[in-house]
Parts: sequence; structure tokens; C-alpha cells
Amino acid sequence: MYWLRQYSAPFVLALGLHGIAAWALYSGWTPEQKQLNVVRPQAVMANLLVLEPKARPAPAPVSKPVAQPTPTAKPKPVSPPKEDSALAEKKKADALKAKQEQEKADRLAEQERDRLERQQRLNELAQSSLEQAISTESANLQAGTAEMVAQSYQLGIYDLVRQNWSRPPSARNGMSAKLLVELIPTGEVVAVSVVESSGSTAFDRSAEQAVRRARRFEVPQDNAIFEENFRQFYFLFQPEDLLR
Amino acid sequence: MAEQLSIFELISNASLLVQGVMALLVLASVVSWMMIFQRWFFLRRAQAEVEDFEEHFWSGIDLRKFFVELEREESLNGIENIFASGFREYTRLTEQTGIDADAVMQGVQRTMRVAVNREEARLETHLPFLATVGSTSPYVGLFGTVWGIMNSFRSLANMSQATLASVAPGISEALVATAMGLFAAIPAVIAYNRFSARVEILMKRYEAFADEVSTILHRAAHTRIEES
Repeated sequence: MYWLRQYSAPFVLALGLHGIAAWALYSGWTPEQKQLNVVRPQAVMANLLVLEPKARPAPAPVSKPVAQPTPTAKPKPVSPPKEDSALAEKKKADALKAKQEQEKADRLAEQERDRLERQQRLNELAQSSLEQAISTESANLQAGTAEMVAQSYQLGIYDLVRQNWSRPPSARNGMSAKLLVELIPTGEVVAVSVVESSGSTAFDRSAEQAVRRARRFEVPQDNAIFEENFRQFYFLFQPEDLLR
Repeated sequence: MAEQLSIFELISNASLLVQGVMALLVLASVVSWMMIFQRWFFLRRAQAEVEDFEEHFWSGIDLRKFFVELEREESLNGIENIFASGFREYTRLTEQTGIDADAVMQGVQRTMRVAVNREEARLETHLPFLATVGSTSPYVGLFGTVWGIMNSFRSLANMSQATLASVAPGISEALVATAMGLFAAIPAVIAYNRFSARVEILMKRYEAFADEVSTILHRAAHTRIEES
């Protein structure tokens, strides 16, 4: 009797407490699985853009000293006429000397002119090559951004497919299937087909199924990028996280 | 991953030994909570009784009358019991002739000490149980967990390919045992510490009160002997 009076209330209380705990556990156990709709910040997708060395102009080939002024006028040892007299000899030597001097001056002038000309051409060339470099570089950059944007969307697509993929039991690491995916500009999948099989039909089918299940991908708004990269593209599906 | 694992499914899927461990822990938790509530009510009542009694006792009432009043109650507990046993012994000894005051006082003190000890025992019932639950149920839960994980890994060895999905449920269900152990242990430890502190405070008051009563009776005994 005493025992009953002492312990019945605590017993009921303890049972009630555990009941409440069990109920709370049961009702609060399953956390609702939110479909995380993560928008990938594209500004963060760091992509190292190497300034291709080809953007730099090849060292102008013109700068080679092509114009090697060939000494055209060589003091030819003209075969001396046998019948020369001393006077004639002297005269001749004088004339020769004068001629040689003249030639020398001419050559110097020509060289100077040549040099100036070359200088000018080099200057021009440098100017133009700089401009060219700049223009090619910016073109490269533009191509690079487009590529980058396309790449970030490709990553998003890959993630989405991965999420929708249910791994068949026969999947092994290193398996890869190549799919041809066709999209329309809203990003909806209109056609999927296996182009290169992984060797396992189950794997191929699962990959194809994953793309179909994704139904709609995020695609860039820019039509040019879409047309170039996403209208029709090959998709290499190669999950790497399998343990064996 | 369409279906979610409910905790009850986890428990029902666990191996028999793990289920046994879980049942034991649930039982320990229920019983320890029962003890916690019981002790809580009991100690609260004891505290209130002490307050009441001391107020009454020091209100200048005639002790003999007070004692007679107490004797009429059907059950005495706590501080009442200490006073009543001391005073009963005192009256019994003083009724007999030829006993000197010191002998009377020795008898009274001894009886009251016994009463105090008995009260201490009553206050401390179930506290060892709480201490046991508090200190061992984590280990019991851990045992269940280790056993469950062992089995889960052993079954993994038979699989040709191991995925996280094939190990996770086993580990999860094994961890439920640890959670239960902690669930049982934490309240028990807290309650044990709190209740033993309260018991200590009550014991201090009982002892102080017993000393006070013996001082009063000591004075009474000596004056009475001298008068006679």
C-alpha cells in the first residue's frame, strides 16, 4: 500500500515523459529533404585564363638585317693595259682613286638611308604588332569568357545529372558513357542517345535515364553561347566516386 | 532515397543483442525517472516538514505537550522522529530513579544519533540507483553501438561492392543505442548530484536540531536531578 502510494505518481509521470520523448522523436525524426536550388555564382568560377604566347607577335622577321648592302662597286683591279705609260698610269690611278672615293661616299649615304628606312619600318612594325597583340588578346579574352560561361553551365548540368543518377549495382569506377544530348533554348532535353557505350548496358541506361530525369537544365541566356555549346552536345558521363 | 528511415524502423531492424541493450536502457531510463520524481517529491516534502516543525518547535510551546501531540500521530518521519525518539528516551530514563543526569544524556544522545542515521538512510534511498544508471548506462549504450557497428561491418565484408548506403543504416541503428544510454544517463547524473546536495543540507539541519534538542534536555536533566 505504502509502496503504491509512494511510487504510482512518479511511475505515471516517468512513463508520460518517455511517451512524450518517443512521440517527439517520431514526429520530428524525418527532416524534410529540401531540394537545394543552389545558384552557382558564376563570378566565383575561377578559371585560369592563360594569356597564350601566340598572342604575342612573333619577333618581326623583317628586323633581320636583310639589306646587306653588297659592295657592288669593287675596286676591280682592272687588267692594266700593257702599253700604259707612267703618266697614263698616274692619271688612271687618280681617276681610280677619285672613283673609289665617290663610291665610298655613295655607299655611306646609301647605308645611312637604308638605316633610316629600316628604323622607320621597325617603328611601324612595332606599332602595328602592339595593336595586333592587343586586339588578339581581347578577342582571346572574349572567347575565354564565353568559354568560361559555357563551362560553368556544363558543370551545373553535370551536377544535375549526377544528382538524378541512380547507381546501378554493376557500376564500376572508370566507366564512362558518351551521350549525345539535344536541348532547346529553354534548356529542356529533347533527345538523348548513347554514342559510346561504357560496355555495361545497365550503366548506359542509367546515365541516359539520369539525363532524362533531369528534364531541364540551366542554359546560358546568350543565344550564341547556347547555339555553340548546348544545342547539341556530347556528354561524357564518368562518375568517379565509386569505391571499387 | 525515397524512403526515410524512421527511428522505430531502425530499432526493429537492429540485431537481437542491440535490441536487448536498448530495452535495458529504456527500462533504466523509465525507472530512473521514476526515482527522480519520487525523490523529488519526497525531498521537497521533507524540506517543508523541517521548516514547519522548526517553526512550531521554537514557537515556545511546552515540549511535553508537543511530544504528546506528536505521539498521537500515526507515523512520524524526518525531524519529528528525531525529536520524538530523543524525548521518549529522556522521559523513560528520568522516570526511573537512580540514574544520574550524565547517563540520561548519554542515552538520549545515542537514541537521537540512531534516529538521525535512520533518517539519513531514508533520505538517501534510490540515490545509489541513480548513480549507477548515470555512470553505467553510457557504457551499456556504447556496448550496443560497438556490437551493432561490428555486425554492420562484418556484413559489409560479404558484399562485392561497398557503398556508403550499405553501411550507413547499420551504423545509424547502432548509434541509437548510444543515444539511449546518454538519454538515460544525463538526467540520472544531474538528479543524483542535486539530490545528494539536498540530502546533505537536510542532514546538516537534522544534526543541528538533534544537538539543540540534546542541549535543552541536558539542561532539563541537570536541573531536575539537582531539584530532586
